[in-house]
Amino acid sequence: MADREDSRLIVARLTKRYHLRSGDPPVLEAVSDISFEIAPGECFGLLGPNGAGKSTTIQCISGFYPASSGRVTIGGFDVHRDPKSARQLLGVCSQEDTLDTDFSVRDQLARYATFFRVPLREGRRRADELLRRFGLDDKAEQPVESLSGGMRRRLQVARTLISEPRVLLLDEPTTGLDPEVRRLLWDILMEARGQGVAMLLSTHYMDEAERLCDRVAMLHQGKILDCAAPQDLIERHIGAGEVEEEVRPGVVWRRPPNLEDVYLKVTGARLEVPHAQG
Amino acid sequence: MPRVDSLWGVSRVWLRFFDVFTKGVWYYLVTTFLEPILYLLSFGLGVGSLVGDVTAAGHQVSYRAFIFSGIIAQTVLFQGFMEGAYGGFVRMYYQRIFQAIAVTPITLSEVLWGELLWDTTKATAAAEVVVIIGVVAGDFPPLALVTVLPLALVSALLFSALGLAAAAYARSIEQMSYPQYLLVFPMFLFCGVFYPLEKLPPGLQILAWCLPLTSVTSLAHSLALGFPIEARAFPILLGWMTFLVAVSRRAMIRRLVK
Repeated sequence: MADREDSRLIVARLTKRYHLRSGDPPVLEAVSDISFEIAPGECFGLLGPNGAGKSTTIQCISGFYPASSGRVTIGGFDVHRDPKSARQLLGVCSQEDTLDTDFSVRDQLARYATFFRVPLREGRRRADELLRRFGLDDKAEQPVESLSGGMRRRLQVARTLISEPRVLLLDEPTTGLDPEVRRLLWDILMEARGQGVAMLLSTHYMDEAERLCDRVAMLHQGKILDCAAPQDLIERHIGAGEVEEEVRPGVVWRRPPNLEDVYLKVTGARLEVPHAQG
Repeated sequence: MPRVDSLWGVSRVWLRFFDVFTKGVWYYLVTTFLEPILYLLSFGLGVGSLVGDVTAAGHQVSYRAFIFSGIIAQTVLFQGFMEGAYGGFVRMYYQRIFQAIAVTPITLSEVLWGELLWDTTKATAAAEVVVIIGVVAGDFPPLALVTVLPLALVSALLFSALGLAAAAYARSIEQMSYPQYLLVFPMFLFCGVFYPLEKLPPGLQILAWCLPLTSVTSLAHSLALGFPIEARAFPILLGWMTFLVAVSRRAMIRRLVK
């Protein structure tokens, strides 16, 4: 196991182009020359509209997709040249449900741990502990199919922690969760961060990013438009004053600016800049 | 040479399948072993009593013995293809298990080897059950239990790869019916399982020899019944196996990895 200080994620000039057939010219550059670094104990947010390249970025970082150019290292291991060593440190929660429905809730976690060379016995012990923390302990022996959508999502996040990863990739982990469960998940993720896990969080929820992330990158059409702490981004793009917004005809809200205002401005989803006073 | 940790990865994936297997032994016993036994009973006893003896390759054997050895080939074909095609499609498309495992220290290449080798194991075990029944019935020599094993392994890998290739190319689970009806059923009916190949017109015989199952039935007849060995069966079998394993892995990787 690599040293805690060493287990950082470095993405250097990552580019990913999609080809219809190998050898053909690329039809799309999904990720264009992006670079960032996530230190142990840091939560880094990846924000952007659908199709911005968030999931492609995560697929390249996990080494599932090859990169067209650039380099990704996890704890010093190149994820494309030495995926086995790099991924020993990595936990991935993909956007899609990839739970193994042939196993019960508990066996599912313990079996997944064996892919990281964790013995089955130790895997079961960790599974019980995780299920308790995620509030799924009463479902331990149930088949996955009997869980609600929100519970399945929780289980999939729990599964990413079974190998005690040093780097976490979370692709929209809280989509479809009710506010209560979302908070439970935030607490667990922040606990992992407190233990020195480097965390990449892709999300649609601006409040989530603003609350959890030390830094966020605004991804649009495969490019990082800006990257800084949420508060710095707000000050840089909107200013410090209040934002005035007509939410319904005749109803005007005056509120402090938030990350959503930045997101809408820099991605160009709304061309008109909200009224702001510095 | 495969690296040691690659073999470890493949074995982990194989064990995942074995775990599922041990949790549902009755399900597997019924779905894996009952089918060949039903064929044996129906054709061996039912049709066998009508036909009596058959003469093939200069040998006279009971129709029951003839069909028993043909069912060895039919079993690896159906068990290998079905597990690779439908099992593989479900695991890749609905469960996304390949994708889940291939972001751990186990690579997609190892996941696909684990899948193919598990399907091969299952189909080989089913074929050996047929051999056991043939030996118990007194139609095969006991040595057939050993001699059929390499044939079963090679052909089970061949048809598992055919199934996995079908899964890799299918856009929906329904589309797997195309290779099933256009390739699997014709092989089942025209590659010497139910009657000696010599009974077919010469043109059809050549066509049948182009398909991989004919080599399997031919060698099964040789190993279980002592028919003379057809040398061409070896290159045809190994050629198809190598080709289909390469195609299935390539197609599956290209489907999943962009």
